[in-house]
Amino acid sequence: MNRVVDGFKDQIRIGIHVCRGNWSKREDVLITGDYQPLVDCFSQMKVKQLVLEYATPRAGDLAVVGRNLSDREIGLGVCNPRTDEAESLDFIAGRIREALQFWAPEKIFLNPDCGFGCFANRCVNEEQIAFEKLKAMVAAAKVVRAEVAA
Amino acid sequence: MYFPVTQVGSWPRSPALLSALREKRNGRMSVAEFNRTAEDEIRRCVDLQHEAGVDYLVDGELRRDNFYSFITEKVEGTRLMSLAEMLETVEDKAAFEEMLQTLDAPAFSIRNPTCVGKLQRREPLAVDDLKFLRTLTDRPVKVTLPGPYLLTRAMWVTAYSVDAYGDKPVMADDIVSILREELSDLSAAGAEFVQFDEPVLTEVVHSGDDKRRTFM
Repeated sequence: MNRVVDGFKDQIRIGIHVCRGNWSKREDVLITGDYQPLVDCFSQMKVKQLVLEYATPRAGDLAVVGRNLSDREIGLGVCNPRTDEAESLDFIAGRIREALQFWAPEKIFLNPDCGFGCFANRCVNEEQIAFEKLKAMVAAAKVVRAEVAA
Repeated sequence: MYFPVTQVGSWPRSPALLSALREKRNGRMSVAEFNRTAEDEIRRCVDLQHEAGVDYLVDGELRRDNFYSFITEKVEGTRLMSLAEMLETVEDKAAFEEMLQTLDAPAFSIRNPTCVGKLQRREPLAVDDLKFLRTLTDRPVKVTLPGPYLLTRAMWVTAYSVDAYGDKPVMADDIVSILREELSDLSAAGAEFVQFDEPVLTEVVHSGDDKRRTFM
């Protein structure tokens, strides 16, 4: 990865997305475990943003990455792309507040845990639900933004 | 502004788009015709992101078969293969099939970009997607690309790749070059945010036994 991005970091915001699989809606067949074994690897990677899953318990504790890599931006996964209902405002806002314990507010981006349709013939969601999830993230961002400003 | 909202990249495909992808794959639809369908879908995806209030937009990867296999359309020396086709070259077929079943991964609808010759970028991987997306929005956008580790892992299928490269790390050197060329073109086209997808990294550290090795 470092060989790929060498020389580009001042021109482009470069992120890396690492998840635990997105080919099935069955949580039990996807991979479980926190990011601890990857912390060293992330530390050495010359990327600005870590786009990570944090909407399911399979991803483990936010502190694992938060304690070690708060110098990076975090693309905070706050929606599960595989479920049929949008996350509540409380859930998403709660995740953002938790991230604020480790990262400065300007370093936090919000995104779902993964794509809504990584494999064309195995899309894990439908357009209307994906749209509702986007709206939920926008609404929660607004709430916590107001809190931070206050 | 704090907490900008964005996506990881892909958007659900409509039945019309899935049918167009299939027709193009089978050579029954021209690229130009396919692009007309895909561009209508991308427009709708962008409209929905505007309506939802998203800050960094994506094009939904709607032209792509999947987030890494699409490079077979852009890179010389590759062939798109379903996992079912790959099964032919796997020594332990029973184990591979069991892995797919355990993972709930359908062998016929997930496709792999297999290296079958010397790799060379025929055309940019995502620059045209970026340029099209730019015509639809004034907001900043994110471009997604498969990472070098994912591509090296997925593209190397010994039976097909060994003649061109001998060994996997040699092929990886060419993958690094291809991605660097792409970053250079994306940078020239004014990309502000490029995300590399490396989903296999969790698999490497969390899969203790073979059954949990995925297909990527």
